[in-house]
Amino acid sequence: MAKSARQAQIEKAALYPLDWTEERTGLVGYTKWFLFRNVPRDVNWMQTLGAATLTAFIVQATTGVFLAMYYKPDPDSAYASIQNITNEVTLGWLVRGMHKWGASLFIILMFLHMARTFMFGAYKYPRELNWITGVILLVMGMAEGFTGYLLPWDQTAYWATVVGININATAPIAGPFIAQFLQGGAQIGPDTLSKFYSLHMLVIPGGIMALIGLHMYLVIRLGVTSPPWSPTAAGRPRDEGEEPQGYGAYREGLIREHEEDKAS
Amino acid sequence: MASKKVQEDRDAFKRYKEDVKKEGKPFFPYAIFHDTVMSFVVVAVIIGLAVIWKFTVDDGQPGALGPLYEKEADPGTTNFIPRPDWFFYFLFYLLRIFKWPESVVLGTVGIPTLLLILLIMLPFYDRRPERLLLRRPVAFVAAILVVISMGVLTWKGATAKEGSEAVGEVPTWAKEQGFADNAVAVEVATLFAESGCLNCHVYLGAGGQNLGAPELTEEGLKNRGIEWQVAHLKNPSSKVPGSPMPSFADLGDENLTKIATFLEASKGPQK
Ligand code: HEM
Repeated sequence: MAKSARQAQIEKAALYPLDWTEERTGLVGYTKWFLFRNVPRDVNWMQTLGAATLTAFIVQATTGVFLAMYYKPDPDSAYASIQNITNEVTLGWLVRGMHKWGASLFIILMFLHMARTFMFGAYKYPRELNWITGVILLVMGMAEGFTGYLLPWDQTAYWATVVGININATAPIAGPFIAQFLQGGAQIGPDTLSKFYSLHMLVIPGGIMALIGLHMYLVIRLGVTSPPWSPTAAGRPRDEGEEPQGYGAYREGLIREHEEDKAS
Repeated sequence: MASKKVQEDRDAFKRYKEDVKKEGKPFFPYAIFHDTVMSFVVVAVIIGLAVIWKFTVDDGQPGALGPLYEKEADPGTTNFIPRPDWFFYFLFYLLRIFKWPESVVLGTVGIPTLLLILLIMLPFYDRRPERLLLRRPVAFVAAILVVISMGVLTWKGATAKEGSEAVGEVPTWAKEQGFADNAVAVEVATLFAESGCLNCHVYLGAGGQNLGAPELTEEGLKNRGIEWQVAHLKNPSSKVPGSPMPSFADLGDENLTKIATFLEASKGPQK
């Protein structure tokens, strides 16, 4: 039955904002392409680790924004502001706890994700730059950990940073300069704290976001690899004249049917 | 003209594109479903950890996941173990393996930098197209070795002994270094034990051995003099360029002179 004129009108009105945006940006079409593009059909649970890492980062960014509203980056009040967040601010303990433990999980997930791409040989042609941006992300993630560790201004924070900066200073040539820059004075004090704060909440996360963007662009452009042990891995060597076959080979459209499923 | 290897790589990637197009499944709803489930698990684990951390704290007693916060930072009391976040333990422990100060730069900078370069350049020296781990023996063995050594170093770093019980050792020191009858020396030894030097250094077997700092038992044999010692304590890198030791200037001249005297008198066990 054909749609009534009224129905068609409503539909048009509802879709108008989408059409409007599409005409000006092309983003609707791009999103459709993004969502309905094919991925290898044998992708496996290990390949969700990248998305898991991304989620952990988003948790860090979000909780970090709320912490920044209450945290005071100054040696006289930093510790008290952390206590305040933990004990007074509504759900402050939850936000701080998520940020604290999320940081460790973020690092663990990055390592696991790296292990899986290593295991899959996913860093080989043409995905070399996925790997390189990944390693830089790993280093920046650890730098986030190092700079964030000082912020609560407690004993562990303080002394770990003292030694950390001094270890930095042992590096040849650039080492002493980096250490001097980080410390910003003869001793770890207000200048150190505000520098670490700025690095921790602006500079490094900004860099991480930009690199995640690049990383994701590459992932989407190049596609993800099939598990190398899969007998139907995408890109497997061809026998002469072999037709692609398997789960999706004979299907069409979004919801496709499996030949064998149909038979049974 | 592209080399044979380059051409093969390109052909393989062309096959990949074809296969994905013909046989693949759409990202939505299949792959995105898995990604979403996994993301929920991640968020749930994070919230779970935060909740356990907060609610197992009992009347100020640290809970299952440690205290909510340590004591406030105090640049004056150095009697504290400098312990980084767990994912730096392996670097931290690496320092112990090297002798201070000649080769420690290998542990602090040399090896980590080398490994990082190896890691980042991986796609450029591992160029075979083979992706199955079992057919990449070198990569397989290297990966296992890396995982084991990182694991061991992290574990060692996590369980490294702390130097805080050092005060209890003072009577033993007095006997071994032969200053038991000297009340002043005993008092100074106690000061030394309390000042946090032993978080990094070792003295007659006591102290935190987790930083690879040089042993102080026989420091006096080096005959550096009290003046040198005080200046060094105030600003270690002015005497030992590049030293990662923190400044102890906050202890004050009087205490520093005492500690320096103690160090100069430490000439190893008197048998
Ligand atoms: C902030 C950190 C990171 C985020 C958010 C991230 C995100 C992702 C996502 C969502 C994918 C899609 C496939 C998958 O989930 O496995 C991916 C693929 C990939 N990532 Fe990451 N990643 C991060 C860090 C890293 C690191 C540390 C490495 C390695 C050094 C790395 C190397 C790769 C490679 C080689 C691929 C391609 C995998 C394939 O084609 O099968 N990434 N990344």
